[in-house]
Amino acid sequence: MSDSILSVDDLRVSFKTDDGIVRAVRGVSFDVRRGETIGLVGESGSGKSVTNLAVMGLIPKPPGTIDGGSAMYDGRDLLSMGDRELQSVRGKKIAMIFQDPMTALNPLMTVEQQMTEVTRMHMGLNKKEARLRAAEMLEMVGISSPAKRLRDYPHQFSGGMRQRVMIAMALSCEPDILIADEPTTALDVTIQAQILDLLADLQKRRGTSIILITHDLGVVAGVCHRVMVMYAGRVVEKSDVHPLFESPQHPYTIGLLESLPRIDQSKGGELQAIPGQPPDLAHIPDGCSFRPRCPFSIDKCVQQDPLLTEVGPDRLAACLVDVETAERKAVEVES
Amino acid sequence: MRDLLSYLTQRFFWMLLTLWVVYTFSFILMRSVPGNPFSSERNVPPAIERQLEARYNLDAPPLTQYIDYLVGIVTRFDLGWCIRLEDYSVNQVLAEGLPVSASLAIFAMVFAIILGVSTGVVSAVYRGTYADIGMRTAAVLGIAIPNFVLAGLAILLFVFGIKIFPAGGWGTLRQVALPALCLGAPIAAYIARLTRTGMLEVLTKDHVRTAFAKGLPKRTVIMKHVLPGAMLPVVSYLGPATARVLTGSLVLEQIFALPGLGSHFIHAALQRDYTLATGMVLTYTVILFVMNTLVDISYSIIDPRVKLQ
Repeated sequence: MSDSILSVDDLRVSFKTDDGIVRAVRGVSFDVRRGETIGLVGESGSGKSVTNLAVMGLIPKPPGTIDGGSAMYDGRDLLSMGDRELQSVRGKKIAMIFQDPMTALNPLMTVEQQMTEVTRMHMGLNKKEARLRAAEMLEMVGISSPAKRLRDYPHQFSGGMRQRVMIAMALSCEPDILIADEPTTALDVTIQAQILDLLADLQKRRGTSIILITHDLGVVAGVCHRVMVMYAGRVVEKSDVHPLFESPQHPYTIGLLESLPRIDQSKGGELQAIPGQPPDLAHIPDGCSFRPRCPFSIDKCVQQDPLLTEVGPDRLAACLVDVETAERKAVEVES
Repeated sequence: MRDLLSYLTQRFFWMLLTLWVVYTFSFILMRSVPGNPFSSERNVPPAIERQLEARYNLDAPPLTQYIDYLVGIVTRFDLGWCIRLEDYSVNQVLAEGLPVSASLAIFAMVFAIILGVSTGVVSAVYRGTYADIGMRTAAVLGIAIPNFVLAGLAILLFVFGIKIFPAGGWGTLRQVALPALCLGAPIAAYIARLTRTGMLEVLTKDHVRTAFAKGLPKRTVIMKHVLPGAMLPVVSYLGPATARVLTGSLVLEQIFALPGLGSHFIHAALQRDYTLATGMVLTYTVILFVMNTLVDISYSIIDPRVKLQ
């Protein structure tokens, strides 16, 4: 794809634990296009965050190791870069915001100190310019009297405001890509909407690509252009956002969509949960990793590990069964 | 700034209250032991004993003694004459000994902080390496070995062995170095452990990941984002550390023959020198109180979430 700005290919990451080798990411490939928002969806432990931390070179080693793959940005592979080179990309070209704005900011430094250290390093601004820049960024993310608030410490901001500070800090060097790792999970629902609107608005104005990691399909429907569904360290379905919600192709996606509460559901109707637990990534079963929880599974799923294959225009899914015609059966979960 | 001022005022009044309590307790404790400063194996003739008691106001009723002495301290900062050190006032003893003890303590603390923090940081950053294991072993030894044993070993090694330090005396930097190192070593070991634990804890914090994600070099992240947080437990420990240095110096001053307060402290207690013992106890109370106040203030400077009150 010519307009892709970051392309990750066959990324594999594992962690050494007492329990054996945990293969957290098992061959993930995707492209991020200029100016789009791509959603990364999945349960906890599906490898969404690890994928992005690996791209940023933030996997703690040890216990983590990158076992293979590449992440091409601007003609260079982020995975094989040295520290120096990587530092010039991090925060400047690819920035990141995190789930919990309560802990992601340094409690012992003022917002100004934290915001200016990025611009001073990456953009070579002096102290005064950096302060102006920081105030400008705070204003852009909707924080009133920014010059005054710069002198405050993170604990003097509310959760939503701290996430705005994080966003302002992340965008202050005008990065090409913003990785947002569950940016709204820790926030109140009303604040969630504000933050998502803010991200969408900033993207429109600056053309930043956003990788949005979330487990909330509602968020995906609201702001993403494309979606990747991850399960047990793999991408199981990749599609534009509308087709995914209209006709999900992978049983796991179907399960996720069915587990969403709906206003039009009959009262007292129970929420459909996906039975069972995600597999232990240290001991992944043979065949399809979703099979133990899958209502559509057939005999073939035991032996064959499905690959991501084209199931429609610009749509990929990793399933051996044609879910639209297959018969659904009750799943018995072995515990 | 106003917070600080009102805090200091408040602390000052607390200190006065504490001093009064300490004074009262030591007064009662010393008087409740049978005998007096002049009772010894060789009996003094009664006439002389009466003379002596009159000279030190010991013939007055206890309450009068308590009040007279307190009034002297409060109005004139006069801690009285030493009972057993003839022709010395307690103030003179303090004026001579305190600078020695204080410089020894300051040298020891500075040495302990510099050595402890730097090894702690290195140990945490290179955790699991041989350097880390070596430093941790040294720290455990440093905590376990009492400083008088360390002092003995140090004298054997550096005074009689490689002969780079004098065995005792006071006045030059070389004379203060060895006792200060021995006094500071256990503290350094403890600080190293606190620093290492603190560093490792802060290293796992989300905001450190944020700092790395911003593209800051590792050195900057460690020095600016990890170290200050890791220093909080170390700063809290400086209060108790001062107490340890003060008690430790009682022993080390003996070993290295330093003219500090340590020997006076011990002799005052053993010889029932009421005035000198009171003076010592009050002085040490003030030192500890001031140190703890400094600790609280530095804590609030490092961590803005902590309010002085």
